[in-house]
Amino acid sequence: MPIVQADPKRVESGIHFTLGNYALVEGAITAGCDFFGGYPITPANEISEMMSKRLPQVGGKFMQGEDELCSIYACAGAALAGAKAMTATASAGFNYMQEGLGYCYTVEAPVVIANVQRCRGENYASQADVMQMRWGASGDYEAIVVCPASVQELYDYTIWAFNLAQEYRNPVIIMSETTIALMRERLDIPPAAQISLTNRRYTTLSPEEYMPFAAAPYGCPDAAPLGKGYHTIYSLNPHNEAGGIDWDPQEFDRLYRRITGKIRENSDRICRAERIMLDDAEYALVAYGSETRPAVEAAQMLREDGIKAGVLKLCNVWPVPERQIREAAREVRKLFAVEMNIGKYAGEIERVAGGICGVSRITKNLGLIHTPTEIYQAVKEDLK
Amino acid sequence: MMKDPQRITLCGMGGQGIILSAVILGTAAVTRGKKYAVQTQSYGSEARGGQCQAELIIDSKPINSPVAQQKDLLLAMFQEAYEKYIDTLAPDGVLVYDPDLVTSLIDHPCAHSFAVPATQIAVDLGNRMAANMVMLGFLSEALGMVSHEALVETVRENVSSRFVDLNLKAVAAGAAYAKEHSLTLS
Amino acid sequence: MSELKINPNRRFLRPEKLPHFFCSGCGCGQVLNYFCQALDALDMTPEEMLTIGGVGCTARIPIYLKSDTFHGVHGRTLAWATGVKLVRPELPVVIFAGDGDLASIGGNHFIHAARRNLDVTVIMVNNLNFAMTGGQVAPTTPEGAHTMTTPYGSAEPRFDICKLAEAAGATHVERWTTSRPVQCVAAIKRALSHKGFSLIEIVSQCPTHFGRYALGSGDPQKLVQWIKDYTYTEAEGAKMTPEEREGKLLCAQFVNTERPVYEGTNEVL
Repeated sequence: MPIVQADPKRVESGIHFTLGNYALVEGAITAGCDFFGGYPITPANEISEMMSKRLPQVGGKFMQGEDELCSIYACAGAALAGAKAMTATASAGFNYMQEGLGYCYTVEAPVVIANVQRCRGENYASQADVMQMRWGASGDYEAIVVCPASVQELYDYTIWAFNLAQEYRNPVIIMSETTIALMRERLDIPPAAQISLTNRRYTTLSPEEYMPFAAAPYGCPDAAPLGKGYHTIYSLNPHNEAGGIDWDPQEFDRLYRRITGKIRENSDRICRAERIMLDDAEYALVAYGSETRPAVEAAQMLREDGIKAGVLKLCNVWPVPERQIREAAREVRKLFAVEMNIGKYAGEIERVAGGICGVSRITKNLGLIHTPTEIYQAVKEDLK
Repeated sequence: MMKDPQRITLCGMGGQGIILSAVILGTAAVTRGKKYAVQTQSYGSEARGGQCQAELIIDSKPINSPVAQQKDLLLAMFQEAYEKYIDTLAPDGVLVYDPDLVTSLIDHPCAHSFAVPATQIAVDLGNRMAANMVMLGFLSEALGMVSHEALVETVRENVSSRFVDLNLKAVAAGAAYAKEHSLTLS
Repeated sequence: MSELKINPNRRFLRPEKLPHFFCSGCGCGQVLNYFCQALDALDMTPEEMLTIGGVGCTARIPIYLKSDTFHGVHGRTLAWATGVKLVRPELPVVIFAGDGDLASIGGNHFIHAARRNLDVTVIMVNNLNFAMTGGQVAPTTPEGAHTMTTPYGSAEPRFDICKLAEAAGATHVERWTTSRPVQCVAAIKRALSHKGFSLIEIVSQCPTHFGRYALGSGDPQKLVQWIKDYTYTEAEGAKMTPEEREGKLLCAQFVNTERPVYEGTNEVL
């Protein structure tokens, strides 16, 4: 993949105190985003508002669609036309986008979607859509979902999300939450020279030689520009390597195995997890997004009580960082799955840790992230 | 001088500039003081009903939990808001309140309690809307939360140009009030 | 034996896709033919275009064109096009949509794209029903018509999609029928040359479904005659009484104006 340095005109280097939603926008601008389509929804509005201001300043295009479907399909169109395209929404709006997301997976359109999870109809914080982000659209595909835990990570992970989208030609979802989206926090933006960006690879073949959906078994195909004689069909329908709609089950089996395989087989290159106080730990709290923050404090409180606790912070939830979870499971007596819902991703952790160590769930869906004390007490209770 | 981490609740009623005050304090601490800060506010229906609340944590190292259960400082500019949040103030914490708006104090232990008639001072300067800036000037001078220079520069950058002069006068008046009455943490 | 002649416009088609999948007597093949004739007359090539089809019979038309093509999602043709045109304003974009795709599920995108004056050509083949799914009622189905989901006759008034386009702000609107090839080709040529949102509605026969269920015949010739009776030109209309025109569709150019096209916002310094 072509790797380039960020454009200094797009990088507001320095130390800022800013809103999470704004940090996400700056991450997108740094990453080279040049198209944004959105539809109003709280608590993602600051993303659209700031995009409408920032994109024209860097030569990009902003649009407010007539609905979420327009937004996601406009992004798909813009992405296939060569842009680095993004949309942002919040839980209820993300429901509407599943259809377009399914199209993006199937034609391998590298769209980035920020989903600022919230409680239904209100701004209360939640992580209740963690499974929807993986399974929301129909059909066979693999999702990539990164989960920032701070304003800084909203900037950093948004760049990561754009790079992953370009590298794998797959939609990438930034799983945000009310907690961090509407939080102001320190944001350090490094000089542009320290930021590497990935651009998708374009074909060097002639239109006669070009096969739009041909790639290595677990690879991603090279792109071609629109309107330059490559006459490619980008259809949601099953298609063969030439792009033709093809209902031969052998052909679409091959297609679905490749578009899922390009993520599954590369999951070790995609997945990131941070080990915090884990090396000597006997118990590990596994958390993602904002929930990692009280988890770290809870682990410190447990250590003050002589309980060696640590945290495995999942930087992405999909694909599942199985290797990192399995390693942690082997090292400790028990895992604690911490999340801001009634218990969803815990099932994945239980699956991966199955037969290695036990998993207990620490869950909460009260519109606020856990306090360190709540997690601390839940662990103490469990270990009684 | 307050010690890090400084866990703060600013509360009052809508329109007093409570959130802006928290943003200015956080911005001054981060961009001038090179510290870390997290600012959050109420969400959902909790945020309605005229009351307004902002939470801020300032620390010299990265901050984990964005929500502090106990506060080192409660700034109260409205009776009902004061009553709602006073229980979160730590026993060694500091209470700062506007005595014209918080008229009935609850018996709650704290290390220091400062009555600052910020709204009256702002009215004397010609605009009651500047009461929040009087409070910021006081916090800088009396508690050393952020330096006076950092505060002034941050106010200059974050309020609309029409109100810069008024706001800077209000900041100065708040600091002067602390000095005149020898109000400080000692 | 005489020499087999190849239609020169076959150069616009993907040879590997032929023969096409349209039912015998379907109007979609005619519309594809008219489009190719317009391309030829304008010296344009589909290779330098993006054509878009959603889902349905009409949506299959672009599959046969040697162009870049988006396909396979119902109703979102104009949403795709909006993103493309903001990023590549110079790229010609032509949409082939059925009446179900454009007027039913895609109705919201349709009125907003017209309002914005998105610079695209929309060719709506109106076969008066949902054909690919088996002949269900559509927003364009004449009131009282029997379809697979209106066994007692449709109780809903029909949409006049040209009036809708005009009201929403489209800058070029025409309606013709498959039985009027010269007018269709001329209208498509005007649409491809027009800067702004163009809608060409072509009323078309569906022998397999609408013909058999609503009109009692699967004979394409009879259906073409029915469409002729269901529509009238301005010249024909001048000789008809208001009662005779009642319930029938006028074939004409309704709008041909210019106003700024949608290009998104640029920074105002």
